[in-house]
Amino acid sequence: MLKFLFALVALALSVPAGGLLAGLDRKLTARLQSRMGPPLLQPFYDVLKLCGKSPCVSNPWLVFCSFVCVTASALALFLFYMQGDLLLLFFVMTISAVFKVAGALSIPSPYSNVGAQRELLQMLAYEPLITLVFVGIASVTGSFMVADVYAVETPLLLQLPFLYLALGYALTIKLGKSPFDISACHHGHQEIVRGVLTEYSGPQLALLELSHWLDTILILGLCALFWHTSFVGMVILLVITYLAEILVDNITARMTWQWMLKNAFGPTLALAVFNILWFYVR
Amino acid sequence: MDIAKKLTEALGGYINKGRVKSPWVIHYDCGSCNGCDIEVLACLTPVFDLERFGILNIGDPKHADVLLVTGTVNHRNKAVLRNIYDQMPDPKAVIAVGTCACSGGVFQDCYNVVGGVDQIIPVDVYIPGCAAKPEAIIDGVVLALEVVKGKLGLQPLPKTTVFE
Amino acid sequence: MLHILLWGCIVLPVFAALVTLVCTNEALRNKIVFGGVGLTALSAVGLALYGSFALPIPATSMLGSLITLLDFVLLLIILSIVISRRHKLGLAFALAQLAGLVFLDFGLLDGHAPAAFIADTLSIAMVLIVSLVGGAICIYAIGYMKEHEEHLRLARTRQPRFFFVLLLFLGAMNGLVLADSLAWMFFFWEVTTLCSFLLIGHDQTPIARTNAMRALWMNLLGGVAFMAAMLFLQSTVGTLSISQLLAMGTNPAVQAGAPLLPLALLCLAGFTKSAQLPFQSWLCGAMVAPTPVSALLHSSTMVKAGVYLVLRLAPAYVGTMLSPMIALAGLFTFVATSALAVGQSNGKKILAYSTIANLGLIIGCAGIGTPAAITAATLLLIFHAISKGLMFLCVGSIEQHIGSRDIEDMRGLYQIMPRTAVITLIGIVTLMLPPFGALLAKWMAIEAAAASSIFMPVFVVLIAFGSALTVLFWARWAGLILGVNPLARKAPSTEIQEDTVRFALSALALAAVVLSLLSPFVYAGLGPNIAAQFGLRGLYTVSWGLFDNGIGLFAVYPIFILLGAGVWLAIRAARKAASTADGSAPCLPYLSGIQMVEGEKIGFNGPMSSLVQPTLSNYYLAEWFGEATLTRTCNTIALVLLTLMLGGLI
Repeated sequence: MLKFLFALVALALSVPAGGLLAGLDRKLTARLQSRMGPPLLQPFYDVLKLCGKSPCVSNPWLVFCSFVCVTASALALFLFYMQGDLLLLFFVMTISAVFKVAGALSIPSPYSNVGAQRELLQMLAYEPLITLVFVGIASVTGSFMVADVYAVETPLLLQLPFLYLALGYALTIKLGKSPFDISACHHGHQEIVRGVLTEYSGPQLALLELSHWLDTILILGLCALFWHTSFVGMVILLVITYLAEILVDNITARMTWQWMLKNAFGPTLALAVFNILWFYVR
Repeated sequence: MDIAKKLTEALGGYINKGRVKSPWVIHYDCGSCNGCDIEVLACLTPVFDLERFGILNIGDPKHADVLLVTGTVNHRNKAVLRNIYDQMPDPKAVIAVGTCACSGGVFQDCYNVVGGVDQIIPVDVYIPGCAAKPEAIIDGVVLALEVVKGKLGLQPLPKTTVFE
Repeated sequence: MLHILLWGCIVLPVFAALVTLVCTNEALRNKIVFGGVGLTALSAVGLALYGSFALPIPATSMLGSLITLLDFVLLLIILSIVISRRHKLGLAFALAQLAGLVFLDFGLLDGHAPAAFIADTLSIAMVLIVSLVGGAICIYAIGYMKEHEEHLRLARTRQPRFFFVLLLFLGAMNGLVLADSLAWMFFFWEVTTLCSFLLIGHDQTPIARTNAMRALWMNLLGGVAFMAAMLFLQSTVGTLSISQLLAMGTNPAVQAGAPLLPLALLCLAGFTKSAQLPFQSWLCGAMVAPTPVSALLHSSTMVKAGVYLVLRLAPAYVGTMLSPMIALAGLFTFVATSALAVGQSNGKKILAYSTIANLGLIIGCAGIGTPAAITAATLLLIFHAISKGLMFLCVGSIEQHIGSRDIEDMRGLYQIMPRTAVITLIGIVTLMLPPFGALLAKWMAIEAAAASSIFMPVFVVLIAFGSALTVLFWARWAGLILGVNPLARKAPSTEIQEDTVRFALSALALAAVVLSLLSPFVYAGLGPNIAAQFGLRGLYTVSWGLFDNGIGLFAVYPIFILLGAGVWLAIRAARKAASTADGSAPCLPYLSGIQMVEGEKIGFNGPMSSLVQPTLSNYYLAEWFGEATLTRTCNTIALVLLTLMLGGLI
């Protein structure tokens, strides 16, 4: 029961945390470009404003999809806080991605359709990697439960360093950061307008933004599992990882999906498999 | 019931704050010589940094709050301007950037020109100049926010809608 | 009691079939189909309530001679077909089987061997699938075939023949899963092959005839492998009884020796029946048949006979060198056919490839062979049968309504067929997302693979890739059927559908959801049997709807409740959005501001102010996932794997 309450509170706290993180991201990005950047609370202003926009719904299914999307993201994070099964929470996260795409496909707009197709290819690129990362974790801990990670005495990072790189690669794709902002770009606009997000407007867009915050928190939570033994280590790992993500986001240009798939399926997969084999042989 | 009412009021207050703090911009070039367009883009550079005010150049009318128009309106693109304006969900504001967008400028009364943007859609703020300077554009956007506040009933409408 | 139930499951459908063949009155024939299907389903439920049993048939029984006799008749029919079609390969296979049968019955078997009907929970699950899902599909077929023949404008209805074969198939399939003797199973096996041949060729177009022939010869090849295995077993081990074989399999002394090669041959027969690579082409070709046939034979039941055999024999080969080879072959098929499905826009072909992929995953799990993997295989067998049968029926209805089975033509389906579109969505979601049964099984499969042997990394990589590809082709299909035309000022029209069609669609959709909700109970029925055969290590315990085996936990009920709440909210919000949007100006998609409306069409304002509608299409990535790119390579790899599997044993 205590665990349940804890998870509920953590989930509630994750929303502001995700928003702050997004604000921090924009602030840091601006600093990297020697700009002032927006206030830290900017993502909250954005979402609040979007909630107040008048509805413009070309298809009621779009509303349906945005609600399911945010529910699934929240549920995945909740399962993580309940220290549940890694694979299961990943599958629940898939629901969220699938419905985001389904909504975009349900509108006869070329931009949202192309965006949705690209989003699907991004999913194709990161899903096998994340599955392998979880299997790698399970080969160390002997279980897929988050709870059992804590039973291991050395940080996972030391045993699965290559897998962590693969995870980082997959996460960049999942978060849609450059060079993988292929399906939709979070800043400015691109050749397919706002890609998969084009037709979501007002409150629906706010919900998708919310689900993105929750996904970010969940992903950082997964990264944190790699240094669970000490709180300081965890923080250091997360800070370094996220800074690296922002840095990569800023210094790279958008690549094509072909490039993304080849690199996800080639070198990155090789890294992941190598790490699992290496651990297995040891 | 009382609490619910208060809550909605409070939420409404926050939403209004968000509206003022996060104007996303869509930029449409009606028929500009590109002088004003370059200045609009200059606003986004590190020198002027529009994002300080939460302003993003978003490129999708369905996500945008402010329509920035440059150039004169002509018969070929007036429908496009109307369409983009119509696709922006309320509340929204329109800013005419540059003399051409304000009044038609030197192209006024040309056979193919309709005139300023306000011939087609309601304009909230006019930013004259050929080309409008980035500082002027930024101040114009901030003035537009004052107009938005006025429209939301948060404060009286500003006396002028022309930035000079 | 047991006799009556068995009779109802196996013989009754055959009788009903014979009556439909001679009945010329359409209304009466439909009633007979209803009655036959209903009684079969009742018997199946009765059998399920009766539980596991073993009913020995003494060697003196007439039944044995009858089946032997029918076996010869059947092979002669097949022989006459291949002769009349002048198909050399088919002829060779049919002759080989006939020769084998003569040798088996008159050379090896001295008189009749004792046989039995044996049912454990796996066979009962299969009987329920065949009789209930199959029954629903047969009822759907009544409405479907009426419209189908209206489209064809036949001079004389061919429905008697169609329903004859369909009902005959139900009986044969029930016989197949309940028979303990391989010889009897072989008979039913070949009956299903013949039914499949007759039904694929039912429309008698040139392409249907060619594809039917291909299905026949490939399945006959499987039959030859089956026959060879029987000859081998009878001459070395001296029994054809599966239960005795399994009892032997657990004995390490015997396991090391002879029976592995016949087991591999039986698995090969299973592979052909389940259209595993490189035999997938017959199943893809079978899609020319009327859709109820694809639903019944080529997704939910007949192709399951192959995996049923592989799964049935699993206790005998688990732990030997055969089992990783089987797993490898199955999982490779899973990945390859999932990739092939990505390259397809033909709805039925996507379903066909996805069926093969799921069968491959089941076989892969059987090969992995841990209790958790076997649970995964069994659950996938059940849940896949329902959802995939449903998907086929949906595509059939859609095709009759919009005149195309291409998923690109299903854009905006919700506007014209709201009911069917929602049911199709349910079908897709139950196949690919948690907390539904098919995904529960996939989750078990990955975790079981991760806890398996030295081949673990290979297995896991294969499943991980296969699953990701699966998500790709399902998600885009789910999205595009939800489209509505924002300019159509009226709400989506209600559909007019034959009652039988509507009943079958609703029943299967409901079953897919409810059975997933009841998955803990389904498992409670299957678990003890699996524990008895494969041991307890890593087996799941279920409490409060949580599947738990110490290394993983799948929370069925909590996810159902929480997601259900989310979906309920979503539906309410969508309803509200729809009602507030009524009357206001339509919200058009963003088309760069140069959109234009003509009637109910939306497009770009093109040259001379003409309407240019944007053409939307999914990415099918033909250069990566097209049949032309993949088929040859995949077939070669699969052939090498099969050769290794068989050759390694010799």
